[in-house]
Amino acid sequence: MYKQPIIFFGLLLPLLAAVALIGAVLYGKSEMEASFTEKSRLYAGFEMTRKTAMGLEKLVADKRPDLERWTESMSQQPSSEVTRQLRNISATLPAKELQLTASDTPSGTGLGALSAQKSSLLRMAFRGSFRTMQKAFLELETKMPQLQLQELKIEPSQNQSSLLNFQVTYSAWEN
Amino acid sequence: MASYLHPASLNEFQRYRQANAILGNTSRATSPDWYKRALDLGFQLHIRIDGISISTFYHDHKNGTWESGPTLTDEHLRNPPSLESLLPGILKHVRSFGAKSLGVVLHIADEFATAELSPAATSTESLEELRAASHSSPSSILADSSIPADQASWRIMPYTSGRHGPVGTAICLTRQWDAFLTAFRTIGEEENFPVVTQGLSAPLVALQGLGRVLNPTAERPFVAILQYPWFTAMAFFNEHANLVLIRSLQHRGLRRPTNFRHALTTTSASLELMDPDLYLAQLGQSVDQTLCADLKLTFPNQRVEEIRQADHADFPAWAPEPLISTSEESQLLQSGTFDALREQKWATQDFLPPINEAQEIYPEQGEMKMLRAFKFTRLALCALVLLTIIWASLQIIYIFNQPAWWFSPSEAASTKQKVARFTQEKKKVDYWDNMLADRSKAWISMESLARLFPEGSGLQLKAYSYAARPEATPGQAMTGFSKEWKITGLAKEEALEYLNTLNTREGIASHFDQIAKITGNEAYQTELPTRSLIVNIRTLENASFKTNSDADVQVKGESSFPFTFDLTITQRFEGTDPMAINAAKAP
Repeated sequence: MYKQPIIFFGLLLPLLAAVALIGAVLYGKSEMEASFTEKSRLYAGFEMTRKTAMGLEKLVADKRPDLERWTESMSQQPSSEVTRQLRNISATLPAKELQLTASDTPSGTGLGALSAQKSSLLRMAFRGSFRTMQKAFLELETKMPQLQLQELKIEPSQNQSSLLNFQVTYSAWEN
Repeated sequence: MASYLHPASLNEFQRYRQANAILGNTSRATSPDWYKRALDLGFQLHIRIDGISISTFYHDHKNGTWESGPTLTDEHLRNPPSLESLLPGILKHVRSFGAKSLGVVLHIADEFATAELSPAATSTESLEELRAASHSSPSSILADSSIPADQASWRIMPYTSGRHGPVGTAICLTRQWDAFLTAFRTIGEEENFPVVTQGLSAPLVALQGLGRVLNPTAERPFVAILQYPWFTAMAFFNEHANLVLIRSLQHRGLRRPTNFRHALTTTSASLELMDPDLYLAQLGQSVDQTLCADLKLTFPNQRVEEIRQADHADFPAWAPEPLISTSEESQLLQSGTFDALREQKWATQDFLPPINEAQEIYPEQGEMKMLRAFKFTRLALCALVLLTIIWASLQIIYIFNQPAWWFSPSEAASTKQKVARFTQEKKKVDYWDNMLADRSKAWISMESLARLFPEGSGLQLKAYSYAARPEATPGQAMTGFSKEWKITGLAKEEALEYLNTLNTREGIASHFDQIAKITGNEAYQTELPTRSLIVNIRTLENASFKTNSDADVQVKGESSFPFTFDLTITQRFEGTDPMAINAAKAP
């Protein structure tokens, strides 16, 4: 008379309860794991993105002052900026060995002809000594990296044998 | 002691709770003695009642020892409450032997009655079925339907002669000692000490004992005459020592039955037993001692012997049943009857088992074992569930400790925006890095020129021109370009070798690489596969060269140089070169 209740309450019911409990725990865990797997995937992507962002940020931060300087420089009219820079450069070099004899802005784009980026030509003539002119060009091209040498002609000066005539044409990138 | 209800009055869950309570409060699950026969237990109390005397013996079944039991009176047997003061002492005594249980065996020697079995029942049912029916519905197997069968306890005694005739007989005992045995079981339940009772018919036990002591005449039937104080039982055996009939004659206040010789003679004749041996067993202190001598006189041609069944120093010879019921000695007499009595335990049938209602209160042994096993199963399940929860919790804790779990997708969005912003900014940086690269610079061209024609090299320049031009590469993101140097001048004879050296791929490349190294300008590097460098030097005789001129004029004037030269250097950058010009607009 006890067999049936013993089997039902003593085994089947606890077994069902245990199976239900274990099932619920495993189900909850698997749901959590599935969610975690998805989050991990997103997190891995996020981590990669974050590291990329950090790398980019460092790279960009290092270059940012340069870019700002370039942007500032290129936002000026090339000819007036060259004039301004030359004036500064001339102050530190022998005036006799660095004489601006002519300047103009011919039409055309030179090296920038095949680029969609805006550019303009700038032509100048100098009379001066070789090394002084080289120093002046070094200064000018360092301060104005947007200047790309388009043409350079050097000939002995007809009047003063110690000086040379320089005709230089720059293609200047503009912002 | 907890009181338990009959399971029929309980619902399923209450039954389960009661079974658990019995499991927790009793040793029924752990001690199998609760479910054994009294004769199978290790320590036993044998009580023999024959109407005149009450004999009690303790028996250590393991050691095979006997000792005197408690003193019981007729009052104790007939009025169980009077036992209450005695029973705890009995159990204490039993425990003092280290016994784990007690089997109480009552040998009933004060009554013995037989009744014929119904021919209908014996023809259709097997012995086992008859045996079961004798417990559950004895009236269905008795020939005389007028007997109030339910008021007594009935058991079957089979005949094994194999001849035509009855297959057995029904033995009847009253239930007058039920309450006495119940008192023992009750104290056992109260003290959670297995006390199992068994009510035996003493004549049946004595019958089994005959097999150990009888040595009948070969091929001759015999009759065993069991003399008890209140009755005489006669067991008739054929020539093969198989029981063919057992009957009893009541003494009715006398020392022997009045018609004993007549009954013996007529019964033997009706069973066609010719001159059977007669064996007398005196099973009472005050039985008729002269019967054997009388029978010898009455049946001079027959073997008449008195037999002693108990041969034990501490045991009275007239009360052999306790010894016989516990003896495991082999039978001297081999026959179907004695084998069946012993092996199928017909002689030790329990006439006074607990009533069904009392028995059913407690789960059966199998149910108790099942209950206990399920208890451990539940513990294992609990452990399994607990381990699962712990395991899952550890996993969850591990997950909670991962930064990924607490990651919010909004963080990803802001980071992605950052990356997009920085990427855009980097594109701009990269773009201007490319566009502002030192691909064509005047100061480097002048440095190259100065190093190409050093002082005292025997060369004099006349003109220098440099030009850079883009080279169209339609559809490409990057545009190639070329740079060309044209230099004209004068050369002395000793400079020709230098010019010839320059006029080789290795010579001009060596100069460019030197410039690249000195100035750090990458545009002068020549080893890149996307660049090409071509040099062409044409040397001519100077038409104005004068050999006899003034020394000063010779040094500085064009006429002092025997040769003129025309140098052209062309450097090309393909669209795939790192310095190629970006064709797109700034981002």
